[in-house]
Amino acid sequence: MSKYYLFQDIKKCIGCHACEIQCKSNKNLPKGPKPCQIIQVGPKFIGGLPKTSFIFMPCFHCENPWCVSACPTGAMQKRSKDGIVFIDNDLCVGCKTCVSACPWGAPQWNQEIGKVVKCDYCMDRIDEGLEPACVTTCTTGCLQFGNVEDTTQIRRERHASAVASLEKSSF
Amino acid sequence: MAEKTCPVRKTIIYLSEQIDSGCLTDPKGRRISEQILHLTEEISEGAAGPDHLSAIDSLIEEYFYSLSPLQNQETGNTLKGILDEHREVFISHIETRNCPSHDCATLAPSPCQMACPAGIDVPTYLSLIAEGRDAEAIEVIRRDNPLPWVCGLICTRPCEMMCVRARIDTPVSIKFLKAFAAERAMSDRAYKNPEKAAFNGKKICVVGAGPGGLSAAYYLALMGYGVRVIEALPVSGGMLMVGIPRYRLPREVIDREVAMIEELGVEFSYNTRFGKDVTFEGLKKDGVDAFFIAIGAHKSWDLGIKGEKEFPRVLDAVKFLKDVALGDHHAPGKHVVVIGGGNVAIDAARTSLRLGAEKVSIAYRRSRTQMPADIEEVEQAEEEGIEFSFLTIPKEIVGENNTITGLDCIKAELIKKKGSDRLAPVPILGKDFTMKIDAVIPAIGQYVDDEGMDAFDQMNWTRRGTIEVNHASMETTMPGVFAAGDAVSGPATVIEAIGGGKRAAEAIDRYLNNIPQPRMPKIPVRYKMEPPIEMSASRKMTLKRPEMPMLNVDRRRTMFQQAELGYDEESVRREAARCLRCDICRRCGKCVTICRSKMGIGALQLGYMDFDDPSETDFRATSEKCITCGACAANCENKAIVIEEKDGQRMLKLCGIVLNKQDIQYCEECNAILPSAEYLQFISQKTGNVTKVSENRLLCNNCQRKLSAKINVETRPVNPNK
Repeated sequence: MSKYYLFQDIKKCIGCHACEIQCKSNKNLPKGPKPCQIIQVGPKFIGGLPKTSFIFMPCFHCENPWCVSACPTGAMQKRSKDGIVFIDNDLCVGCKTCVSACPWGAPQWNQEIGKVVKCDYCMDRIDEGLEPACVTTCTTGCLQFGNVEDTTQIRRERHASAVASLEKSSF
Repeated sequence: MAEKTCPVRKTIIYLSEQIDSGCLTDPKGRRISEQILHLTEEISEGAAGPDHLSAIDSLIEEYFYSLSPLQNQETGNTLKGILDEHREVFISHIETRNCPSHDCATLAPSPCQMACPAGIDVPTYLSLIAEGRDAEAIEVIRRDNPLPWVCGLICTRPCEMMCVRARIDTPVSIKFLKAFAAERAMSDRAYKNPEKAAFNGKKICVVGAGPGGLSAAYYLALMGYGVRVIEALPVSGGMLMVGIPRYRLPREVIDREVAMIEELGVEFSYNTRFGKDVTFEGLKKDGVDAFFIAIGAHKSWDLGIKGEKEFPRVLDAVKFLKDVALGDHHAPGKHVVVIGGGNVAIDAARTSLRLGAEKVSIAYRRSRTQMPADIEEVEQAEEEGIEFSFLTIPKEIVGENNTITGLDCIKAELIKKKGSDRLAPVPILGKDFTMKIDAVIPAIGQYVDDEGMDAFDQMNWTRRGTIEVNHASMETTMPGVFAAGDAVSGPATVIEAIGGGKRAAEAIDRYLNNIPQPRMPKIPVRYKMEPPIEMSASRKMTLKRPEMPMLNVDRRRTMFQQAELGYDEESVRREAARCLRCDICRRCGKCVTICRSKMGIGALQLGYMDFDDPSETDFRATSEKCITCGACAANCENKAIVIEEKDGQRMLKLCGIVLNKQDIQYCEECNAILPSAEYLQFISQKTGNVTKVSENRLLCNNCQRKLSAKINVETRPVNPNK
């Protein structure tokens, strides 16, 4: 895994797709490829009420990526300093083996240039100290980007406050 | 004047760099730059119309609005500079859809078309002939050459010399396919003239009814000019009629194609010598606005040896062939020797044989490989029994009482001389011998007969005795006088004369409409991209150039019947389909490199693409290793190599050749098209050590994402809040 973690607070997400649009516009992509995508699961009935989940699907930047092993040209790479899986456009010849190899459908086909495009956590922005494009525009603030250790902290804190509120209500 | 880098491509690179570098901070300037870039890209792809250039011009003006920042003005001035200097190249890209420097990839021309002095769109008409659309093929050819039937029989075919198919086996028989299509169209009464423009009131005088004159007359007549052709001979065709013998080019072929030109209203005055029967002043008085001189090169060089002027049976080749063509069918002698190694020498020898000479030989001072004559002509002459005496220099014609008894010769050896690539024949002292003959036909070259040309007093002549012209426009130094053909080039080929005549017609039109003449020679026009014909790799590989069926040798030794009998229809259609369509594939070799070096597959065995170092080509070999990944297709700028999905199969096609076919698989969830089994196997080989997550289901990219989102929801622990 990369040393970063892109955390989606599923409870907050309203499925507005702003992250997808910001991502595409930042990478200047045509119709078609979606390096990150909000996938709607449901609605299904939970406790008699229809509930829908919106799952944010970027690239997971696997520890042992299928796409990197599959790529015959060495275009698909894992950045050694932080584990980001990215594609070197100059080396990509458009064979799409990564597309077929990835179990999560992360590498996307860019018809316009005949090459693959994928989520690289906007590594150019990260290197400048900025956040990935999708995170900056999230309307509900449900996307958060940071180091893995920081995001686990968020979860812990949130769980703690939830527990605390339960305690309060018990009074 | 070949351009180093195509200025159209240069403009695209310049603008893209400006836009990408982010230095265009003024939004208006950036918008203008982007629009110009878009228009220029369309020019570079052959998708531009006649208004593109003026649109670019007015966009450039927009850079200079009041208070426009300096950066805009700089960009504007740079673009203005490029356009001022290279406007013609931009226009040529739009009009011809052809980029001779190969920089604009989609407009890279085919070698055959560039080799043709008339610039005929060869791949287009071959495709039409392959489909049996002969009349359309003739229509395409006649846009650049009004005599396709003539050229189909006697052209020296520089196109076949450049044919890429020769790097696989043998060149496509481009020359004869034209003749077949013309003959068939003529027979079907489908050989038609295009619509001609209404008479524009201007008159042109064409001097000489040879291929150059006929070509100019045809294009001028189509443009609406009144054309009168002055011809000293009683027949039209020039050297076609009186130089090329009938066994190579039947008279009907010339007559029928000339009749098509007559049908356009061109007036022919035969037996009329310019300067004698008609004069410059007289024609001027008749309202002639421009002159086109295509008088050819009809005088033979003398040998300059002793005895040459003494005997009546020393006949110069040009006069001999002319007399025979005009009906004087008398053998020049019993034992004839022709001196020279070009096509005219062969023609004179083969003609002598047909007139009844017992023995005919050709004496040439170099050896067989240096002969300028067509190899087929030489072989046919040998088949007919003509003897060759190489390394032979004539010294003296001997005889008595007006009768030749022999030709004294001296043996030569070939020696490399400084400053020349061609080996020079040098006589070997003491190696004299005598050929027993009674007639000599010198055929060592021709020059221009300038008799009657005095009226063109401001016209310059070169040191070689030819007319000096600007080769882009065929203008002479005298305003309103143009020239082409052998009169300009010295003895050359029919197709060069036709090309020159066409260029001159365009230049005359410009001259009379006060449009400045082009600075660069016109680049051949690509008309329409005919879709390539689909066929299997095996068929493309196994098609072979047919042998030309010949008249039997006895008849060839006795009669003027056409010696080459021509292919039958089936052979013609098959031969035309052998074309590799180099107008679509520019043979950059990117597909081969990617398949071999990048993908590590090496399925494409297309050695012919390497011009300098061609290796073996086998289209059939592709299917052995190819996984239809489509990387080659994704990187082909010309879309010459494509992946096509049809009838449950994924096909890899190169200019119509089906290189490989594999079954398509489908997504189990949504039925979307998936890669072939071979392709998935290629991936699993590479990812073998990584565990499978997709539960061994065959899913498309989208469904895989959905599945993992679902797994994500289902495996999520129940939210403690609920």
